[in-house]
Amino acid sequence: MGIQGLSKVIGDHAPDAMRENEIKNFFGRKVAIDASMSIYQFMIAVRGQDGMQLTNEAGETTSHLMGIFYRTIRMVESGIKPCYVFDGKPPTLKSGELAKRQERRAEAEKEAATAQEAGDTENFDKFSRRTVKVTRAHNEECKRLLKLMGIPFMDAPCEAEAQCAALCKAGKVFAAGSEDMDTLTFGSPILVRHLTFSEQRKIPVAEIHLDKALAGLGMTTDQFIDLCILLGCDYCESIKGIGPAKAYELVKKHGTIEEVLKHIDTKKYAVPADWPFAEARRLFKTPDVTDPESVELKWEDPDEDGIVEFLVKDKGFNEERIRNAVKKLQKQRGQATQGRLDTFFTVKPKEGSASKKDTASKKSKPSGKKK
Amino acid sequence: MLEARMPQGAILRKCIDAIKDLVTDGNFDCNDSGIALQAMDNSHVALVNLFLRASGFDPYRCDRNLTLGVNLGGFSKVLKCMGNDDVVTVKAEDDGDTVSLTFESKDGGRVSEFELKLVDIDSEHLGIPDTNYDAIVSMPASEFQRICRDLSVLGESVIIDVSKDGVKFSASGESGTGSITVKQGASVDKESEGTTINLNSAVQLTFSLKYLQNFSKATALADQVTLSLSADVPLLVEYTIGEVGYVRYYLAPKIGDEN
Repeated sequence: MGIQGLSKVIGDHAPDAMRENEIKNFFGRKVAIDASMSIYQFMIAVRGQDGMQLTNEAGETTSHLMGIFYRTIRMVESGIKPCYVFDGKPPTLKSGELAKRQERRAEAEKEAATAQEAGDTENFDKFSRRTVKVTRAHNEECKRLLKLMGIPFMDAPCEAEAQCAALCKAGKVFAAGSEDMDTLTFGSPILVRHLTFSEQRKIPVAEIHLDKALAGLGMTTDQFIDLCILLGCDYCESIKGIGPAKAYELVKKHGTIEEVLKHIDTKKYAVPADWPFAEARRLFKTPDVTDPESVELKWEDPDEDGIVEFLVKDKGFNEERIRNAVKKLQKQRGQATQGRLDTFFTVKPKEGSASKKDTASKKSKPSGKKK
Repeated sequence: MLEARMPQGAILRKCIDAIKDLVTDGNFDCNDSGIALQAMDNSHVALVNLFLRASGFDPYRCDRNLTLGVNLGGFSKVLKCMGNDDVVTVKAEDDGDTVSLTFESKDGGRVSEFELKLVDIDSEHLGIPDTNYDAIVSMPASEFQRICRDLSVLGESVIIDVSKDGVKFSASGESGTGSITVKQGASVDKESEGTTINLNSAVQLTFSLKYLQNFSKATALADQVTLSLSADVPLLVEYTIGEVGYVRYYLAPKIGDEN
């Protein structure tokens, strides 16, 4: 999932790149959300008291709809304008990673079955959560719901994170919303995490700025991508024995993976045979995305009766609750949105101030910013 | 180092009280012209700009430009310990990590000393362009405060509508609608109670009442408040503190939804 240990590396070397914020401070912002990842989350997290997924009378899972419906409304209530991006075909390089996931799922299924037989509810709960798989039908149902809610969505030709990043880069949205750190590797200027988390968990939304991360790390975009590949991405294996600290050090010292390979002791660090790092790098640099300029995001009025028809009649949700929730959606429509000062006033570059603390912090931070 | 003595210490207290609910931390930029603070609220909707002129202090000394990062909540609590007629002296060393405050009672019978820890604040500084506003309204500060309070029972936002006849503040909500119109020159006896409108062209803008109510905490500092408005730019709410300086608030308007 994403890039291993990247958030820690950024946290260590570029702490000002990450900012925690309350969800309500994102009002008026358009955010492109990685739908596939969110749906997966919902199917794991949204459960009934018995730890089983929510289902309707026919036994079809409804956790994903519950999640999409209420968490989207929560965002809209905070004034956020969400749009969803669904995964397309995974890149061939990901097949290794996907096969691994498949394997793990199969294992978890077995474990879950044994736990259930043994009446071990705790373990059953743990493993059944790992067996979750998002099917095409789940995605289609979510799209149908979003359409009824008047929330825009799109299909990415390939990876959803990459498309979110492209939308953000083109200024179509303020930020990309995903838990996957590789959204940054795809070049998203701003990544927000924890946006679709439950309100009860009280986890603040984390905002990560790529430019500040690069400045803090003292790396160019290319070096950053190489760093991510060394840390471990979805597309190829990483080198055994090279952890976050070592990876950072190596990229800082040698600049590119090619140079790193020339300098490390290949006996100590086993480089995978035919390591396709160059191909992974290409995927990050020029991912397969729809031209963001051709994408039109339009938020529309929700279709209350349509939602009731779908969620209440087909999926067995409580009608009163659904109608109340739709009211919240409608209320937000047509309301004037609060503007922000930074759209009117320009941020002045920081002047070197005479304060002692300032100079001290400058010393401790090497600023090797290259453009 | 900085050494600034303010004969009317209560002014400093009122200034901090007027901004502490809007911003939690702020950098005081001190130089030979005076002490200035610019800070935005968390959600970047409002900005406060406080300026205290060097001439408002007696004496005022600032050899080198200094930035003092202060937690305003803590600052305000310390200032509450000051008597109403106390003289306050603010001191800070060039390399220090505290700012010291001394309150002296008028008769010199009591001297209180406080030291406040400085904090490292990473704040963005905004350049505010000079704007020729379409409408500039001066009105009694207490009247403005009351309007904001009264209308906030109805809804979250107020529409400010300035025409040549007067200023109309209106709000609407689930329970109903309401409006308050203040006419030009409505003063009866005192000049400070009148309302004047300088109008180039009529404007109508929508603002969050929550923020305006917050701004009106500066009412203790001035008799009059000046509202400067132009279409599609932030509202400027200004309270002039006599000869001492000013508190200016900027508030981004609410914008109608385009899609």
